[in-house]
Amino acid sequence: MPLTYPIAEQTLDNGLRVVVSSDRAVPIVAVNLWYDVGSRHEPPGLTGFAHLFEHLMFQGSRNVASGQHFSLLETAGASLNASTFFDRTNYFESLPSGGLDLALWLEADRMGYLLDAVNQENLDNQRDVVKEEKRQSYDNRPYGDSYERLVKLAFPADHPYAHMTIGSMADLDAASVEDVHAFFRKYYGPNNAVLTIVGDVGEEDAFDAAKRYFGHLPAIPTPPPAADGTIGPLTEVLRDDVVSDVPSDLITMMFRLPVDGTPELDAAGLALDILAAGQSGRLNRRLVRDEQIAQSVSGGALPLIGGVSFGTLTGIASDGLDLQKVEDALVEEVEKLAVDGITDDELATVQAQAERDWLEQLATCAGRADEISHHALLFGDPNRINTRIDQVRAITTEQVQAAAAKWIRAEGRVQVTYRRTETAGEQA
Amino acid sequence: MNQVLTTPPAVGAPRPWSFPAATTTTTSAGTPVHVFDRPGQYVATVRVTIAMPLIAEPRELEGVATIMSRTLDEGTQLRSANEFAAALERHGAAYGVDVSSDALHVEISVPVSHLAPAVKLLAEAVTQPAFNQADVGRHVTIRLGEINQERANAGYRAREAFAAHLFDPSTRRSRPTAGTPDTIRPLTNVQVASFYRDNIGPGRAQILFAGDATGVDVAGIIDDAFGGWTSAAGPALETPEPLYVPGDRVVLVDRPGSVQSQLLIGCAGPDRRDPAWGAAAVANHVVGGTITSRVDTVLREEKGYTYGTRTSFTAPRKGGTFSLGGAVRTEVTGAAIGDALRILREARDGLTEQEVQEAKDSLIRTAPLRYEQADSVAQQVGSNIANGVPVDFADTYLTQIAATTAEAASEAYRRYVGINGLLVVVVGEAKDVRDQLTALDLGELIELS
Repeated sequence: MPLTYPIAEQTLDNGLRVVVSSDRAVPIVAVNLWYDVGSRHEPPGLTGFAHLFEHLMFQGSRNVASGQHFSLLETAGASLNASTFFDRTNYFESLPSGGLDLALWLEADRMGYLLDAVNQENLDNQRDVVKEEKRQSYDNRPYGDSYERLVKLAFPADHPYAHMTIGSMADLDAASVEDVHAFFRKYYGPNNAVLTIVGDVGEEDAFDAAKRYFGHLPAIPTPPPAADGTIGPLTEVLRDDVVSDVPSDLITMMFRLPVDGTPELDAAGLALDILAAGQSGRLNRRLVRDEQIAQSVSGGALPLIGGVSFGTLTGIASDGLDLQKVEDALVEEVEKLAVDGITDDELATVQAQAERDWLEQLATCAGRADEISHHALLFGDPNRINTRIDQVRAITTEQVQAAAAKWIRAEGRVQVTYRRTETAGEQA
Repeated sequence: MNQVLTTPPAVGAPRPWSFPAATTTTTSAGTPVHVFDRPGQYVATVRVTIAMPLIAEPRELEGVATIMSRTLDEGTQLRSANEFAAALERHGAAYGVDVSSDALHVEISVPVSHLAPAVKLLAEAVTQPAFNQADVGRHVTIRLGEINQERANAGYRAREAFAAHLFDPSTRRSRPTAGTPDTIRPLTNVQVASFYRDNIGPGRAQILFAGDATGVDVAGIIDDAFGGWTSAAGPALETPEPLYVPGDRVVLVDRPGSVQSQLLIGCAGPDRRDPAWGAAAVANHVVGGTITSRVDTVLREEKGYTYGTRTSFTAPRKGGTFSLGGAVRTEVTGAAIGDALRILREARDGLTEQEVQEAKDSLIRTAPLRYEQADSVAQQVGSNIANGVPVDFADTYLTQIAATTAEAASEAYRRYVGINGLLVVVVGEAKDVRDQLTALDLGELIELS
């Protein structure tokens, strides 16, 4: 049965798509902007730019001083942040509903007039902060570079998903203020974004407020689309074997998957869940509980819009056990699912888990606003948040097996392994 | 017509808000049940909070409480581990346990439409665990592997060294909650079952529900599942006051290959029994609680030393801590610590009226956001019970904050931070940061590998 969150939608004259979902039961409102620019839009030499703006957007704009975006919103009781992904960037805040105008004014000022405040000084400073972010999130933690290695193997060098959102530090170092300004002018404008407002505000009041603050911003020339990333399943096995000072031996396999928004991707995601999700997943039962060759297993699909998605399976070997055993077991389970299929009960379990995840995601105004922006921007239909569970529930065991048979195969995978210096030595 | 507004629009007054109220009943076994009806929250959390002070663990078997907790769902008297997981997950439920220094929390989150069967399974894990040696032994092995992962994690190493040096060795909190290899290895199902028998029972528990209870007899469902719970466990021991080690000192944990230094700087702090708990939170917000705070304005926004640092006052049931945590570039480790200590000490001179007012506004106005989701209500209430304060303590905390003056916030801060010295923990490449640390002249330098 579909959910019944209200959805109202208008497009302003400048092309800004505004979606409102009123909920008067809570005293708060969530504001969420998705810009149609992510790391997949970055041409060679400009990697990391979409993410760099996630930082620069908090450094002030024409009418907002550096640091003021945070301080004004925090004092109004907001929780706020931004995120960057392969497909898009996202700016958001939730706050008591009396602060709606403030939130919209701040978002509009940086959408329209950010560049008044982007200069050499704050570019240099935020470049330093991004480098610390990369050190903290990638370089200073075990296995921190695994995804960087995997996407490099899974996609051709010029493919939109072949580099991570954090980008190349060399590209960032080479960036001039002019490069940064040009990137902003190309992608950041009302007609390349979705604005979602959820919570304690009436629909008409919300649309009026959106017009009041964003209506005067000029449209930008239609941005160039990201390069088409359409590509089929992997047809070979590519490996990256790392020997380093890691706490335990680990393997992650990556598969290409169908593009998001299709039943095939939902089916492939459910296949990976049947293998890797929860305590009752096949891999946990076999590798962790029964054979005890792995300390833990995990995995799942990462839906993407640019012609292809990907998914992973990870296993951490039990101490003193050869990682090859984990790899062999993963390969066997992957093939078994593709060849023998799944049971009704397994499918019902992962569908029930997907339903809970989805309901939890929609349980806050912020979560609902994020999914509305997501589905409006990438699929053109915010009402998908109400029908999403039915789409997942409609997938059959046959569809799961068919998707797995095509996309999740032992002979079509890339993998990275990390072995401790000691264990790698033993095998040499 | 549209005219660009060059100054921020006014913010309307927030609607009044208070922490959700509970309906409280008691199961046939005498366990209190608190039901928080949250209309529109279709995924409910059911949380069983059980008083379980870690001082009940034998010194040589520390971690037994954690292994016991992790094996509750690894087979019950009615089902194998695999059967239990399959049954629970088939209802769309997720199951989890958390062990803190004073309590065990066992919880499920589940769509309300599947509440009754999922609560039955939760009760099965809590009241009828099997503790087969095969499952206990496996969790001992997994915990040993987890310790390897922890040793590789800079943030974990910093927290471990911080606890080990801030608390006297006689204090349980000076050592890891989940035990060390020496105390984990000897554990079998015999000790685990014995710890369970002595410590887990309906008289030590409280059960929380948060979610949309429209048309659902939540108290009846919980009583049906937990009403027959029996146990010989007597009342829980009271957690003793912790003993702190005072004085300025530096602990350097060598982590070869590090490209950053993980910092943790701090001292003793208040707990929730202190009427200045709210004032301390206000002071913290000003000094280092947000990206616009005094510390990050310098370390991140001016100097670019870090992706971000945060300070916090945190406390279990008895005895809190203040700390500043974050990672900084190796080459500027000494400079960053010097700046951080200067800012922490200068804050003792007092916080401004404006800073304090902004912090109060932020802390009070964000409350409805923090408790919007059913699960966050259950988390907060479970933690209140574990910490020995009333279930609606969130309201008391907000009242304390609203009444906090600039002088009261400054005084709460001064009473703790920098009064008995500051412990500085650095996890990083020792050969590159050692000289930077000695140049700061911060007292004794202790090196660990």
